[in-house]
Amino acid sequence: MRLHRIRLRDFRGVHDREITLAEHGVTVLQGDNEVGKTSTLAALDLLFDAADSSRRAEIRHAQPAGVDAGPEVEAEVSTGPYRFVYRKRWLRRPSTELSVLEPARQQFTGAEAHARVTAMLDETMDRVLWRTLRVEQHTAVGQADLGGQDALTRALDRAASGPTGATGSTARPDPSVDDGLVARAADELRRYRTPSGRATGELRAAEVRRADAEAEHERCRAALEAVERDVAARDRLDAELAGVRARRRAHGDEVAELEDRWAALQSRLREVDAARGRAVLARERAEAARERREARDALVAAAEADAAAAETAAAAVAAHEAEHAAAHDERDARRGADTAARADAVAARRAADAAARAVTAARDRAELADLTERLRRVAEAQAGLDAAERVLADTTVDEDALAELEHLARDLLRAEAARDAAAARVELTAPAPLTVVVDGEEVPLGPGETRTLPVAGARALSVPGVLDVRVRPGLDEAGRDDAVRERARELADACEERGVADLEAARAALRAADDAARRVEEHRAALARELVGHDHAAALRAAHDAVRRRLDDAPAGQDDLAALHTAADEALAAAEEAANRAEEADAACRTAEDAVRKADTRAAVLAERAADARHAHTRRVEELRAARAEEPDAALATAEHERLTRAREAEREHEALAAALAGDDPDTVEARVVNARAVAERLAGEVARLEREHAETTGRLQAAGHQGWHDQLAAAEAELDAAVREHEAVTRRSSAARRLHESLTRHRDRVRRSYVAPFRAQVERLARIVFGPTLSLEIDEDLRITHRTLDGTTVAFGALSSGAQEQLGLCARLACAALVDPADGVPVVIDDALGHTDPERLARLGAVFTAATAAAGAAQVVVLTCTPERYHGIGAATVVPLAPSRRPRERGASDRAAPVHVADDVPAATPGTVLDLPRAPRAG
Amino acid sequence: MRFVHTADWQLGMTRRYLGARPAREAGGPTGEAQARFAEARLDAVRALGRIADEADAAFVLVCGDVFESNLVGPEVVARACEALGSFRTPVLLLPGNHDPADASCLLRRPDFVRRRPPHVTVLDTPGVHAVAPGVEVVAAPWRSKHPLSDLVGEQLAALDPAPPGTLRVVAGHGELDVLDPDDDEPARIRRDGVLAALADGRVHYVALGDRHSAWADAADDRIRHAGTPEVTDFDEVDPGHVLVVDLDEHAARVRTETVGRWRFVRHYAALDTDADLDALDAWLAARADKERTAVRLVLRGTLSLRQRTRLDELLGGHGHAFASLEILEPHSDLATVPDDADLDALDLHGFAADAAAELFAAAGRASEGAGDVEARDALRLLHRLVGS
Ligand SMILES: [Mn+2]
Repeated sequence: MRLHRIRLRDFRGVHDREITLAEHGVTVLQGDNEVGKTSTLAALDLLFDAADSSRRAEIRHAQPAGVDAGPEVEAEVSTGPYRFVYRKRWLRRPSTELSVLEPARQQFTGAEAHARVTAMLDETMDRVLWRTLRVEQHTAVGQADLGGQDALTRALDRAASGPTGATGSTARPDPSVDDGLVARAADELRRYRTPSGRATGELRAAEVRRADAEAEHERCRAALEAVERDVAARDRLDAELAGVRARRRAHGDEVAELEDRWAALQSRLREVDAARGRAVLARERAEAARERREARDALVAAAEADAAAAETAAAAVAAHEAEHAAAHDERDARRGADTAARADAVAARRAADAAARAVTAARDRAELADLTERLRRVAEAQAGLDAAERVLADTTVDEDALAELEHLARDLLRAEAARDAAAARVELTAPAPLTVVVDGEEVPLGPGETRTLPVAGARALSVPGVLDVRVRPGLDEAGRDDAVRERARELADACEERGVADLEAARAALRAADDAARRVEEHRAALARELVGHDHAAALRAAHDAVRRRLDDAPAGQDDLAALHTAADEALAAAEEAANRAEEADAACRTAEDAVRKADTRAAVLAERAADARHAHTRRVEELRAARAEEPDAALATAEHERLTRAREAEREHEALAAALAGDDPDTVEARVVNARAVAERLAGEVARLEREHAETTGRLQAAGHQGWHDQLAAAEAELDAAVREHEAVTRRSSAARRLHESLTRHRDRVRRSYVAPFRAQVERLARIVFGPTLSLEIDEDLRITHRTLDGTTVAFGALSSGAQEQLGLCARLACAALVDPADGVPVVIDDALGHTDPERLARLGAVFTAATAAAGAAQVVVLTCTPERYHGIGAATVVPLAPSRRPRERGASDRAAPVHVADDVPAATPGTVLDLPRAPRAG
Repeated sequence: MRFVHTADWQLGMTRRYLGARPAREAGGPTGEAQARFAEARLDAVRALGRIADEADAAFVLVCGDVFESNLVGPEVVARACEALGSFRTPVLLLPGNHDPADASCLLRRPDFVRRRPPHVTVLDTPGVHAVAPGVEVVAAPWRSKHPLSDLVGEQLAALDPAPPGTLRVVAGHGELDVLDPDDDEPARIRRDGVLAALADGRVHYVALGDRHSAWADAADDRIRHAGTPEVTDFDEVDPGHVLVVDLDEHAARVRTETVGRWRFVRHYAALDTDADLDALDAWLAARADKERTAVRLVLRGTLSLRQRTRLDELLGGHGHAFASLEILEPHSDLATVPDDADLDALDLHGFAADAAAELFAAAGRASEGAGDVEARDALRLLHRLVGS
């Protein structure tokens, strides 16, 4: 639907005004308060809804005061294929006129015109959406109830199934049937169950009826069964009564006979009882006499016994006295023995100690001898050692020196050998023994013996007195001889240097040194051996002196150690023996002391007992004497005998009577009488009980006969059957209703969920202009915004600020306006909203308006405001300023009230207050 | 000698299918059809009394079950006595299994004794009763609900042959052993004994009650059941009659008079097509005396949703005319299976069409087994809601 033009005459404060609206985009009607913006909207509603005959409150209030004309409204509207001008006047000369301009020109008046307009609007326009998309003045711009809006649903259906065709609901000639169907299914379900699922209405009634019928049926069935039981009980009672009565009659005769016999036995029974009483009494008296005599006998015996006891006690005291004295003697003897044993033990101990000391002294003497010997050997070794060390200290030849001397000697020998080999020889042979002097030495020669003499130097041979021969070597030979001398000299020098005469002496000196070194070793070993256990000779000496000092105090004695040991051991054994004996004597002594103490105690006890016994005996004798004085023993014996005789007589008499009675067996008779009486009583009780039960049962049966229990049960059965059938049928119907409703709503919700996506896309597109690109929204199946998410923060719609709620509410309405089919579209009317929106957001909202109405065929948006700056940001807006429209004669008064707008007023000469309207929306 | 043989009046009987009213208001017939049915039983008594008067019968012999129960209310007793008082012929009432002569015996109850017309005699003591000159009735009344012996047989065994010139009629209640060979039932009447008693002249006619259909023994037609004078159940073969018996020492000539006016009908029908529904409709329409007719339908077949709806409407329409019209569910096998035509007939779109398709699928599946009756019911409701 689109509004082209609205004209108000004499409507509230408006005298006459026509407003032309932009066909597309946003029309802003701006004007001060009370200028008639809201009246324009109200007028439009009345035009469509109220018949010209209506006098309802809004119409009466629309009547301007003091004017003789009814309020009148005229509008030019196009909707679907229709375009028409529609005018109504109420109250005064009411009229309705309709001029249809398209598709064909037609004229209607009166009720026919109203019906025609209603039909056209119903056919082409979603009137609920028209109301929903309106934002009334002074109301919060909350959420529009868009779920279930047919035009919107159609649009969303198209959007949801558009490119994909997923829902399969393409051709829907009359979709409005669907929602009506769900509502009817819900109504059907509500007939049986409350929204919370409790049974109600028919179902509840059926349940109640069934429960009642079951209870009633049970009541009747139980009653009928009770009657049946009573019938059976009556049969049983009849039979039992007859039987019991017969038994009772038979029993009566038996009782009478037994009672007679029992009465006869009763008197005899009493006689026997009397005799028994007498016998018992006599026997009691006899018993008393016997007891008195026995008491006297006992007293006599007791006195005798007491005398014997006193004697016995005295004897015991006497007997103990000897024993007592013996104990004292024994103790004294033991004490003497104990003292002697102690002395013996001390002596033995001393002897043992002396023996031990003799052993020690002998051992010391042996040790002293040993130490003296060792000291002597130490001195010997020390002297040897000192001598050997002196030899060593005097020795000048060592191994190296000897080796050098040996070397020099060999060199000499070689030199001599070399000289001799090269020298001429003189061979001397003597045919007869002859002594030759060679170089001054006599050399004896045997017969035929030859001697060869080397001629190294000059040699002189002589046979004394006979011949002297001088042999001189040549020059060479002289040189060699010089070498030999050189070598000899060297050797001699070396020997001299070493302090030895020659090589042989050197060798002897070295041997002497070696011998001395060996002896040093031997003496040191001997020293070490003897000093073992002591660091040095002084310590040994000190030990020796210590032992000798000890011995100074010790007695001299024999030094046979073995004998001494034997003596010491024997002495020790003797000492121990003596100690043991002393201890035994001590123990015996203590035992004897104990025995003495016991004997003392016992003597005291025995003396006390003897005294007690004496006293007891005295008292008893006194008692007996007193008793005999009162009644002598003989009198007692006589009385006893007499009474016993009488008692036996009485008992014999009773026995005779009782035996006579027992012959007649009174116990059996009594038992039978008692039993017969009990049986009679029981039978009487039985009869009474049966008769009572019979009477009760009969009474109940008679009463039941008038109750018509069969009829009641039959009725209850029929009712129960009907109630069960009805309940089952209603239950089936209610289940079916629930199933159908559940199925329908489930499918509807599924479809609605598919509608949410395109709707949300559209709302988000617009809302992002206000809130920025991070905005996203959650929208439920009823197309309500439930949550807003901005910059990652999610807030429930109800928790948003009033401004944000207002802005989102507006976006949702405008989204709706942008979504719906142009053919289905209705104007979005916003009456002075956005009071909660700040200027920054207002500017952005302007862009929202433009975006929402930019599409070709987008719905009309009409904004009414007294604060036009709120809507300055809407680019695609057609602004219509409204000024007060007043009757000419009122103007003066109003001028004073609102002088600012006087200039805007239009002269009343024109047919109405026709505002100069832009013919086309200004492009943003 | 002429007498009227009848039995099983079952006065005070109600039938649940004849309607109910809230049980708290009990104390008489309930429901409108129920009341008419009760009245019809009394009408039958009055009618047979008229027949007896007109036939100049010596007596009317009622062989047991005069009342439906010993515990029927005083109203039933009062109306029964009124009906008995509407004719002159003497009446002999024998206690049967429904109204035995036990401690609660109605025929001895003060309210009955007080109102009983003078020509009415109660045969509550067993044995021979001289009811008219030369006529004896041998009564075998029930003394409890569960007798332990053949009551008729006992009476016959105790009898000598009838004196010359005396006619003897046995009055008994119970099935003959040939009619119901139940070995466990000690009270069965031995047919051999009855035949022997007839043969040797101890008795001349054996009048029996308990079987609600008229019946005569094939070997000796003097052994008879009169049947109930007004129908009581659907399985009765030939109810609604009384027997007018002309008896001598050798034979009985029996005339059957019809007094019952109600019908209990069981009807079998196969329902698969619209033509079957037409036929059922026509059959119901053709019944005469619908207000005195109770119909039980045993239906078999498979119907679509639309046909089922039509059947329900059809039965609902006729039901108002009949005293009772109901489907005997335990013996019926009637399936309702929605077909495509049902779905198309709904002419639904969008989610409603989806929901309907789902319910159709569920209902269709269920037709194979013990099924989703709820889905079918939901579909029928959907039909109704769419149509409205
Ligand atoms: Mn019967």
